[in-house]
Amino acid sequence: MTAATAARAPGLTSPTTRSASGSLTGLGTMVRLVVRRNRVRLAVWFVVLVGMFAYIVSYYSEMFPTQESLDDFAALSNTPGIKALTGLSPAADTLGGAVWTKGWMTIALSLMIGVAFLVTRNGRADEEVGRTELLRSRVLGVHASSAASWLVGALLCVAVGAGVSAVSLAGGLDPEGTGIAGSLVIGASVTGVALVGLGVGAVAGQVASTSRGANALGTAVVAAFYVLRMIGDLGNGVLTWFSPIGWGQQMQPYGGNRWWPLALLVVLAAALLTLALGLEARRDLGSGLLAERPGPDAAPPRFATPLGLGLRLQRGPILGWTIAVALCGLLFGSVVQAMTDLLDDAGGATDDLLRGTGVPALLALLAGMIGLVTAAFATQSAVSLRTDEATGIVEPQLAGALSRRRWVLQRLTIPVVGSAVLLALGGALLGATYGSAVGDSSQAATMAGAALAYWPAVMVLVGVAVALLGWAPRVAVPTTWGVMAAMWFVTMLGEVFGLPTWLLDAMPFSAVPYLPLEEMSWTPLVVLTAVAGGLVWTGLARFTRRDIQPG
Amino acid sequence: MSTTTASTTTMAIDVEGLEKRFGSAHALRGLDLTVPTGQVTGFLGPNGSGKTTTIRILLGLLKADGGTARLLGGDPWADAVRLHRRVAYVPGDVTLWPNLTGGEAIDILVRLSGPLDPKRKQAMLERFELDPTKKARTYSKGNRQKVALVAALASDAELLLLDEPTSGLDPLMEAAFTESIREVKAAGRSVLLSSHIFAEVEKLADRVTIIRDGVTVEAGTIAELRHLTRTQVTCLLDAGADGLADLPGVHDLVVVGGHVSFAVDEAALAPVLSVVAGLHPRSLVANPPSLEELFLRHYGDELAALGAGSGS
Repeated sequence: MTAATAARAPGLTSPTTRSASGSLTGLGTMVRLVVRRNRVRLAVWFVVLVGMFAYIVSYYSEMFPTQESLDDFAALSNTPGIKALTGLSPAADTLGGAVWTKGWMTIALSLMIGVAFLVTRNGRADEEVGRTELLRSRVLGVHASSAASWLVGALLCVAVGAGVSAVSLAGGLDPEGTGIAGSLVIGASVTGVALVGLGVGAVAGQVASTSRGANALGTAVVAAFYVLRMIGDLGNGVLTWFSPIGWGQQMQPYGGNRWWPLALLVVLAAALLTLALGLEARRDLGSGLLAERPGPDAAPPRFATPLGLGLRLQRGPILGWTIAVALCGLLFGSVVQAMTDLLDDAGGATDDLLRGTGVPALLALLAGMIGLVTAAFATQSAVSLRTDEATGIVEPQLAGALSRRRWVLQRLTIPVVGSAVLLALGGALLGATYGSAVGDSSQAATMAGAALAYWPAVMVLVGVAVALLGWAPRVAVPTTWGVMAAMWFVTMLGEVFGLPTWLLDAMPFSAVPYLPLEEMSWTPLVVLTAVAGGLVWTGLARFTRRDIQPG
Repeated sequence: MSTTTASTTTMAIDVEGLEKRFGSAHALRGLDLTVPTGQVTGFLGPNGSGKTTTIRILLGLLKADGGTARLLGGDPWADAVRLHRRVAYVPGDVTLWPNLTGGEAIDILVRLSGPLDPKRKQAMLERFELDPTKKARTYSKGNRQKVALVAALASDAELLLLDEPTSGLDPLMEAAFTESIREVKAAGRSVLLSSHIFAEVEKLADRVTIIRDGVTVEAGTIAELRHLTRTQVTCLLDAGADGLADLPGVHDLVVVGGHVSFAVDEAALAPVLSVVAGLHPRSLVANPPSLEELFLRHYGDELAALGAGSGS
């Protein structure tokens, strides 16, 4: 295998590309290594994505028992909000079409980004920390490591696609008289789109010089594909054809059942992988096309305060959550009208979910959803206190003239004030969008208030994070996220699953007055705020008295 | 060994009988340490002997379980914030914000304790040849250490707490570090220098405290500690080394041909040398005891097991 390389006489002009023979030496070993390192990850991706699809199939089969309800759902699918999110299925009024509308984009996008990150994890990340250097010093072809991770990634794409097809067949999603074509096409479209994600990840891993940069680049490209098709789907559809995600949509499962866009997807994926191979053959180990850019050589004085530094370090998450909450508000507001019609015709499960009927119940539920999204932001921001202690980064700060109390309190301003801003913003946008549809401009203020009512409940989560920081630092981060996840689960699905009332009532989110369906009630809000304050106080008191514990 | 607790004003650091437990582990068991104002004090001990724990207690990051610790005359736990305006710290393993640049990190660390002097920052950046525009993520261990060093040296701190500050630096940068510490000392500021590099401590320190397993085993000025050790003598004696082995105070005599080497106690140096003079040496080299030898006396068993001579 290595004869060709060995035979080359050392000349004055060194070849710019390597000899292709032997470039895959050791592929088998590397495939085993990639599978071994990622077996849990691979299994989780498969189970979660296929399981999500199966759950949607079973849930929607119950929810849309009649053609009438499916027609209502098709009308909902034809609203700008839903078209922007997932595009419009030509078979929107079939069960398969409804399931596609609900789940296809989520599954395809998740898998796209998932495999791109998988490629980074086994490629650029290994190169960054030097593991690749160690491996390449042995008998290993230049492309063996990359090819192995691409191969495993591609297998995951195919497996998830096959799983989706199998679930579709089992659930009988194909409209009568169309055979099994729709089931096969939906699986193939997931696989095809995900393979492009694999190609994007492979090229990003060659272009960027850090794993963080590779993931950011891959995500940005996928996001650009998504936005292109979003604009296309909202307009005349031309831009949809400039996006591989659009090609996947245009395979039209359960409708047109087209196979030829799959060829486009496979050809693009292959082209991207070929490009990545070419880059890898030419570049030095550890280098990328994009070098790390230099940054400022000095910091403004505000960075020397915990609040100023916290705002700078959490700039990305704060911006991201603000956009997420704003989009939620706009989307929710734009579907209220269509959803109300749908709910009138849907199965009985929805009344439990809404805790009532009609537009006010739906608005109240959507305000609660804004509250839950804000809770995730607040949790992320609050647990960063413990993360900073664990990584040891707080020590040089506390070695300066900075008290622990000031550090905690200033940093907490971000989730405390930020949550109020996000709740008001999301609620106001929800109300404004809905209000403009029904010609009621007072909705913006009403819904901003309804969402703001969740602020004390969100603060309880912040309190939990601080209490755990003080008393149980080693388990604080996973426990806080666990409490938040439990609140999400119980609030969204508790009544559907018939959990006991006392448990539901004990949850901060359930204690909040269900505005605008219910009357405003201050007592629970005062109690929740007091609980949050008490939790922060006890956590802070303990934190200022205990040892700083890295790790 | 004796510590003067009477006047804390002359002591930048004054620690007596310090105790610290982590669960069942007894990290510090009555440790004593003093750093006189305006002096450089070396703080030596093997890994896990309690150096970093001591420094973290002095910074108020950990709470002592027993004994007393005074930092610049104050209580390091209760008065942490007030005291830290006068203290600069360089950790042994420097953690920085991965997405901020080295220059930003320096500004943040300096400003947390006091005002920033851009000229001094620039001078230190040049001295340590550090590029402040690179993201901390891309720095090597040595460069992260330089960030902490520049931040500490660019400040006006009265007391520098340095925890193995040169472990990632190359020899050129060690020279820059030595120069900086001499300047700090000349300005009348105090330094606690924890280190494994004996030569560095020997070069810089006025006093040395040696600890092992959380207790102080030796403390004093470099000169005082030399009294406790032996001078290593190598000479060329054509006539042989008759009688040397029997002299009091002579140890480890080795004779290979005319080459004679031995160690001699400080107190016996004069009589032994007069005997050597009578043997008409053609050459003679006498080395003062290095801290390494001093260290070997306390940790000889451990170092021997490792194959001696590792930190030199």
